Amino acid sequence: MGAAVCNWCKRLEMPIIVFAYLALIPLLSVNMASEIIIFSIYALSYNLLYGFMGRLSVGPMLFLGAGVYGAAMCCVYLTANPIACIAAGIVCGALLGMLLGPVTVRAAGAAFALVNMAFNQVGFFMIQTGLAGWTGGSDGKSLYFDPIGPLDFNKPNHVFGLALVCLLAAFFLMRRLTESPFGIIIKTIKENERRGNFLGYNIYGTKLLVYVITAAVSAFAGALYAIMFGYVTPSFISPARNIEVIFATLIGGRGNIYGSLLGGAIFILISSYLPNIIQRWELFFGLILLASVFWFSKGIPGIMDLFGPKKQDVNASAKGGLR
Amino acid sequence: MPSQPILETRDLSIAFGEYKAVDKVDFLINTGDCAGIIGPNGAGKSTFFNMLTGMYTPTAGAVFYQGVNITRLPVEKRVALGMVRTFQLVSVFDSLTVLQNMIPPVDRFRRQYANKRLFYFGEAESPEVVECCRTWLAKVGIEKRGREMTANLSYGEKRKLEIAMALSLEPKILLLDEPLAGLSDVEIKDVLGLIGGLRGKFTILLIEHKISQIQNLVRRLSVMHEGRMIAQGEPLEIIHDREIRRIYWGAGAE
Repeated sequence: MGAAVCNWCKRLEMPIIVFAYLALIPLLSVNMASEIIIFSIYALSYNLLYGFMGRLSVGPMLFLGAGVYGAAMCCVYLTANPIACIAAGIVCGALLGMLLGPVTVRAAGAAFALVNMAFNQVGFFMIQTGLAGWTGGSDGKSLYFDPIGPLDFNKPNHVFGLALVCLLAAFFLMRRLTESPFGIIIKTIKENERRGNFLGYNIYGTKLLVYVITAAVSAFAGALYAIMFGYVTPSFISPARNIEVIFATLIGGRGNIYGSLLGGAIFILISSYLPNIIQRWELFFGLILLASVFWFSKGIPGIMDLFGPKKQDVNASAKGGLR
Repeated sequence: MPSQPILETRDLSIAFGEYKAVDKVDFLINTGDCAGIIGPNGAGKSTFFNMLTGMYTPTAGAVFYQGVNITRLPVEKRVALGMVRTFQLVSVFDSLTVLQNMIPPVDRFRRQYANKRLFYFGEAESPEVVECCRTWLAKVGIEKRGREMTANLSYGEKRKLEIAMALSLEPKILLLDEPLAGLSDVEIKDVLGLIGGLRGKFTILLIEHKISQIQNLVRRLSVMHEGRMIAQGEPLEIIHDREIRRIYWGAGAE
């Protein structure tokens, strides 16, 4: 009985997501809805690395930026076909992940976080100064994408449609990856990576693969940003913005793909509307972050559990008995 | 055939800085045998085990598995050859359910793993895999707890789960690192019965701290002391050797 209900939920899941995002358009605006969707793709990719595999990176903007600049450079110097530009962005992100992964995934904990931040810093410098002749440096570049048949991504509605289709694809990919045997291996890495080795799995290879997938999907989101905004600036790769996706993941709940959608939407809403009310909105942002780290480690789904129907908490009593 | 050596070490040594944790150990275990290594704390038993299974790389000497030098073979490839181990501190995944714990080892040598599409995108808890997991759990007597979070299991049940995970990898040689450590008397009896039932199916090598618990279980006993293998032989022989009694039970016992 329960399984049948669950199957129905899964069948209806995609339509529900589509409907929810369509409902955002009259509530907010098309552009805002698109931004939420694209940011959620980015949050989904980061959740795989941090939420499921337990590797906190303080440099995910590097891969978002790789996608943004990959798509932008393709648009400026090669072809303005938006599909080709998205592909270029994903390839840039994946290649960068393959290049850096062998170095970064050997580390864990603080070392992993900081190595990523260092690479992000290098990337930011390269975009802003090192390759300024190509990238436009701090001024950035404005982009114009060719229409493909009836699809013209200079129109907000078309961007929304594109973003939504891409989100569904990314969501489907993440759900399959996390519910498969591979997904269980990823979760075991979070808890005890050596043990997975002794179960016959190449854990280094798994970590590298997850890192590259995260890089590629982040870059995918980045490429969509380039198309949506129609310009690029180094702020798209700025290490100062790393906290955004970490915040979204914490708020939505680590290791929960629905949480990425929720956290992504909440972050964009807070960062868009709170500044209208309070000038120094980052203060509240920081307070929410503190609260979610110290009290609500499961994010908003965890808070909802507090108010939801009480489950028989075997877990708590067992733990209480032990200590 | 049964007297063929399955695992052999020659001059196996490892040093951490100046300290020689394991010093020139020659060790041999035959296919189908059940052997134990005993020794006081800090004798180098676990370090020796870690070199056998690939967690540490020895500073000198070699490990041979079925006549092949595997000294530098990565851990996961040794598992593929049939070398499976458990840990002194029981190591299962608390954040997963008991069934989910069983999936990686059960899956490893099945069609699902060979088929990369199923491995990356297929449903982990497919009916046939779940069925297979339950069979293994039934063998150690914890099949009723399959859907529970592993964190809720008692230490003894976790130990049984760990053994089930090891068995489902279908080992040719099973290395048990202090399988009785931290268990209650009842659980010790359970686990000893479990291990006893496995004798003859494949080779078993176990480490134990207390000699009394395994003297009836194993056919051969080796004694480690300060990084060296000081004696090997029949359990009773070893126990009654005066020199070994002096070293093992220490000066205080005499």
